[in-house]
Amino acid sequence: MQVEYAKAKWSEKFLVLDLLEGLKTTLRELFKPKVTIRYPEERMEPADRFRGMFKFSYDRCIACKLCAVACPIDIIYIDVHDEIIQEGEKKKKVKVLDRYDIDVKRCMFCSLCEEACPTKPKSIWLTTKTYELATYDRNDLYFNMQELEYWDDRPKFTGLPEDDDVKRIKGQKQIAGGTE
Amino acid sequence: MNTPLMHYLVWPLVKFLIAFIIVQVLVAAMNWIERRLLGLFQARLGPNRVGYKGLLQIIADPVKFLLKEDIVPASAEKVAYFLGPILPLIPAFIVFCLIPFGPPPTFTVTRVNVGLLLILALTSTGVYGIILGGWASNNKYSLMGGLRSAAQMVSYEVPFGLSIVGVLMICGSLDLVTIVRYQETNAWNFLPQIVACFIFLVAMNAENNRTPFDLPEAESELVAGYHTEYSAMKFAFFMLAEFSMMIVNSCLMVTLFFGGWTLGMFGIGLTTDVLRHMGMFGGILGTLIFVTKVMLFMLIYVWFRATFPRFRFDQLMDLGWKWMIPLALGNIFVTAIFILAGQERLMYWIGIVSIGLAAMYLFKPKPKRAAAPGKVAHAS
Repeated sequence: MQVEYAKAKWSEKFLVLDLLEGLKTTLRELFKPKVTIRYPEERMEPADRFRGMFKFSYDRCIACKLCAVACPIDIIYIDVHDEIIQEGEKKKKVKVLDRYDIDVKRCMFCSLCEEACPTKPKSIWLTTKTYELATYDRNDLYFNMQELEYWDDRPKFTGLPEDDDVKRIKGQKQIAGGTE
Repeated sequence: MNTPLMHYLVWPLVKFLIAFIIVQVLVAAMNWIERRLLGLFQARLGPNRVGYKGLLQIIADPVKFLLKEDIVPASAEKVAYFLGPILPLIPAFIVFCLIPFGPPPTFTVTRVNVGLLLILALTSTGVYGIILGGWASNNKYSLMGGLRSAAQMVSYEVPFGLSIVGVLMICGSLDLVTIVRYQETNAWNFLPQIVACFIFLVAMNAENNRTPFDLPEAESELVAGYHTEYSAMKFAFFMLAEFSMMIVNSCLMVTLFFGGWTLGMFGIGLTTDVLRHMGMFGGILGTLIFVTKVMLFMLIYVWFRATFPRFRFDQLMDLGWKWMIPLALGNIFVTAIFILAGQERLMYWIGIVSIGLAAMYLFKPKPKRAAAPGKVAHAS
């Protein structure tokens, strides 16, 4: 197919002024500040509604299982037993959490569990501004109740071969979890 | 001590070694400078992890090249395959004997009265290695790269040579030292020979297979061109030859058009006599001025690479044969007329006026961009 190009003026074609224009543009670009974030040294602050790693609060949770129901891929595992507590004269039946596990490796971070949570403030939430979730073993991404609540100081990389690379990474303060 | 042996063999060798080492360091540094600068041009940072600002990349790259596995294709033509990367290196290194880095006689390795001719003859042999390597790899892409390189070199050797003729006519010598000495008493040659300077700049980019003309190694068409099958140190030799030739051409540019080691026109400023008066320090100062100018042109190479997209092959040939050669011939014609009329100084105004016009075009305030005419008609 014959393509018709816009005809350049003779002066534009013969003189190389458009080339000079291009050189000027790139030169201006050279002195502009760069937007690159030097990752391990500099970290990006995610937006407020960014969905990161789960955080769970045992104290707030009423063990209603609504989050597990809301979860579209059923990765929240909850076990509950009833306990009878003597409160003054009345006997009160209270649900107690035995197990609250999330299989984060299958999670798609849809945040429906957070929406379903009836407590105020939410007892499961994702707005933790965390994105460093990579692990060396996929099983490291199965979080139980304690880990979900206290992952700030969760020990990482247990049971891995002690090669130099792992040691170097271990030496860094924090790998998965928490912006600093 | 001043026996002929010392004068003709030992001292030139020592000087050549010093120049050679400095140039090789520059080549290694250029690898980093180019990548870093290209990054900055493209709104990113470039290699900045190894050492301060990535400076140790200069050492890290050669070390990596040395440690890589050297793969030779089973069906390669062995002798030619090994010769491929080495052949372009030899002329690129010999040429550094001929370039005057500073005020003579101390800071030039040799002074040959046909130095420019010798340099042209040597540099044009560099393409043999590329063709040989491309052919010996027994790979279609490599062969295509080699052939393209040959065609391109042949096409652009002509305007390259013709653009120098104007300078020769003005200076009346093929001796690089004489050319520089001429420029310090008169104006630097880029003023009377602005057209030749432009042609030389384009042709030297084409000669080195640099980006607007890097068809021999066009990644999107030929994988990597003539060095597709080369790895490890052999590939590094190709790179070394390419960067050495870039430095050679920058040196030629500085010597022919931008006053070599001097920093003065019309006999005013840091001319050779002033530098000689300062003794050893003056010589080193002159060499530093020369190296600074050369580095500026190396940066211009990178700048061009960051700016211009690659030519199509027929466009490349068009530019070479239909524009550059007639332009160079026309330049020789005009120069000859001015010299015959004895009005060489009038030619300075050509350069001054054209540079002024270009500057005016670049810095004029931009008119506001009008809406596209088609769209306006549609709205009404």
